[in-house]
Amino acid sequence: MTKILEFIDSIFVAAKAWILCLLGHFLPAWIVVLVSITISGVVILCLGPVIMMYLTLLERKLIGRIQNRYGPNRVGIWGLLQPIADGIKMFTKEDIVPANADKVIHLLAPIAIVVPALMIFLVVPFGKGMTTVNLNIGLLYFIAVSSITILPIFMGSWASRNKYSLLGGMRTAAQMISYEIPMTLAVVPAIMMSQSLATNAIVLAQAGGHGLNWFIFTPWGIVGFIIFFLCATAECNRPPFDLPEAESELVAGFHTEYSGMKFALFYMAEYMNAFTLCGIAATLFLGGWQGPFLPSWLWFFGKTFILICVMIWFRGTFPRFRVDHLMAFAWKFLLPLTLINILLTALWQFTSNLAAWCGSILVLGISLWTLVKLNRTFVPEKRHYPLES
Amino acid sequence: MNIFGSGVFQGMMVTLKNFLTSYFRKPDEGGIFTVQYPEEREKAIENFRNFPFLVYDGSPEQIRCVACGICERECPPKCIHIEMALDVVGKPARKPTVFDIDYGLCMNCGICEEVCPFDSIFMDHAFEVTAPERQISLVRPKKALLKSNEYFQKIRPTLAAVIDQKRKTAEEKKKAAIQPPATSESK
Amino acid sequence: MAAKFGTYAVMAVILIFALGVVTLRNIFHCALCLAAALIGTAVLYVAFRAEYLAAIQILLYVGAVVTLIIFAIMLTEHLAGKTVRQNNSQSPLAIAGLLGFVALLTVVILKTPWPVTQTALKAKVSVMALGEALMGTYVFPFEVISIILIAALIGTVVIAKKDAPEERL
Repeated sequence: MTKILEFIDSIFVAAKAWILCLLGHFLPAWIVVLVSITISGVVILCLGPVIMMYLTLLERKLIGRIQNRYGPNRVGIWGLLQPIADGIKMFTKEDIVPANADKVIHLLAPIAIVVPALMIFLVVPFGKGMTTVNLNIGLLYFIAVSSITILPIFMGSWASRNKYSLLGGMRTAAQMISYEIPMTLAVVPAIMMSQSLATNAIVLAQAGGHGLNWFIFTPWGIVGFIIFFLCATAECNRPPFDLPEAESELVAGFHTEYSGMKFALFYMAEYMNAFTLCGIAATLFLGGWQGPFLPSWLWFFGKTFILICVMIWFRGTFPRFRVDHLMAFAWKFLLPLTLINILLTALWQFTSNLAAWCGSILVLGISLWTLVKLNRTFVPEKRHYPLES
Repeated sequence: MNIFGSGVFQGMMVTLKNFLTSYFRKPDEGGIFTVQYPEEREKAIENFRNFPFLVYDGSPEQIRCVACGICERECPPKCIHIEMALDVVGKPARKPTVFDIDYGLCMNCGICEEVCPFDSIFMDHAFEVTAPERQISLVRPKKALLKSNEYFQKIRPTLAAVIDQKRKTAEEKKKAAIQPPATSESK
Repeated sequence: MAAKFGTYAVMAVILIFALGVVTLRNIFHCALCLAAALIGTAVLYVAFRAEYLAAIQILLYVGAVVTLIIFAIMLTEHLAGKTVRQNNSQSPLAIAGLLGFVALLTVVILKTPWPVTQTALKAKVSVMALGEALMGTYVFPFEVISIILIAALIGTVVIAKKDAPEERL
């Protein structure tokens, strides 16, 4: 029984090794390396868009159920062919480029935004031994690559020569830069406690203890996870942080002037970003691919799926943030909280379990109370009119 | 307790409740109330009116319409076209040969139903009338407009009951009017 | 052999993009060529097996510095579609001077005995060693840099702050 489970667990790794072994019999070594890279690349290139397509369907169904209606259920059973219909629609739409636009940059922006979204797939540990490239600076690579995403947004908004696009692009860029800093700092405790930047090592550092060693069950882990999750939602421009693409306010913001396949590429980048960020959140705080009985890649996808459902839940629940609330939340609330979180990690490292919990709760309580008091929004005083008695 | 973030949590609980109950609550109690047309239809209320139809009692030959032409004259967009049938001798028979209503012109006002003195034209509930082009196929001929009295009773029970009652009393009065003079004559 | 060819190709690409920065007419295109040149530099760092430095290069230069430059371009009015002339009538003289400078620099670089030893070539710097060095040997410069950063931040806030409104009569 355990042998069967182990076989299913390592089925993908074993399949790739078998193919390479087969080719290694009659091909020189460097071609085998090339084929290995190609297989990994092709798998990621197929996995990314397929995940994105079915994520859009999942979102529409879940949002529909939250809003007391069915999601799409006409195209295929349960709407399972709906993403394909959407894809066909996007392919066959006319590609409109504004006459005044900067044609080269208008074309390059959607292409350039998909590249970082796909590159992050390389360091996500999908299962035991299934990280595509086991970089030893994996997490830093992820942070660096996700900071490139801001440039294509600028490109898209500037090349459209449209006031709404420009405003949307500026707001998006400001939002993404602001939320990158708490995201990076929220990840630092996980790095501190697992002594490594490699994603696989961080997963292995949460091993043992029947899941109680996951970083989320520590005081700094809970705070870090919540902050990372909120910043991840903001990085993907998902509601409630979707002011840049708010249909009711900015006519779709920086991707106003894009139609057809270019818009599909922007859309694809947003959903792939959402998937990878949820995947990284599961890796860093929820123990990655660890779990009993089921194969490791199933655990990973399950945890990521739950986190994506929570993101979709956010979308169905909250109204949009106003832009000044958005920035204030990042700079004045989340950033100090992440710094205090790093302090809590140090406390956890150097004291024992119970004392650390008590100390952490005390410090957290005081700091949250202070931050909430300092972030009170300005309520103007009630005016009095002479005729009122 | 008004702790920071409690509103967020409450909001999420509301949407979670909505999500879970959408699977097993009935439409009236907070479940999903979508009517998945065309597999499910909503039951039309009785006074819904869409397009006229002609009533016959029993067989399509016993059409109630006598081709008086009042509805043709009263129709605001003038979408009715009636031609009276001619007898074997050439005298006008009180039946229409041609009764065309143009679905493209009809505005579903129901004035033809209100002015008909012979209770022969009423507003139907059927709205799924389609045609590939509008000049020829959208003009509904008499054959398409004829529907039985049973159908009328099914779609508009109260009005059909009133009309049937009225016709029955009129029949009985006519029979009673014919009978007593006969008895008085036979005296 | 292929690695050497690849490295030279990347260097050529960096040079082309750098040329693009100083010769293109549209200022936004110049900023994007700058971003591409910096990404090329990061690729070079990876080729020299300094992956940490490559990641930091992308994170800071492309993610922050170029973003700042683009913000500055976008906040300046009416630059969309305007072409900027990047050279004037003295360019032949300038190019001649530049080529002379490059020749001088090449001669100096080739003649300097750089301390590249076998141990230095084979050294594998791990992130942990970097961290230990930063917090151990080089902790004083680290703290001084952070003080400079705080001073810059406070200075920015002070300069950008609006003056207090005048007293109402």
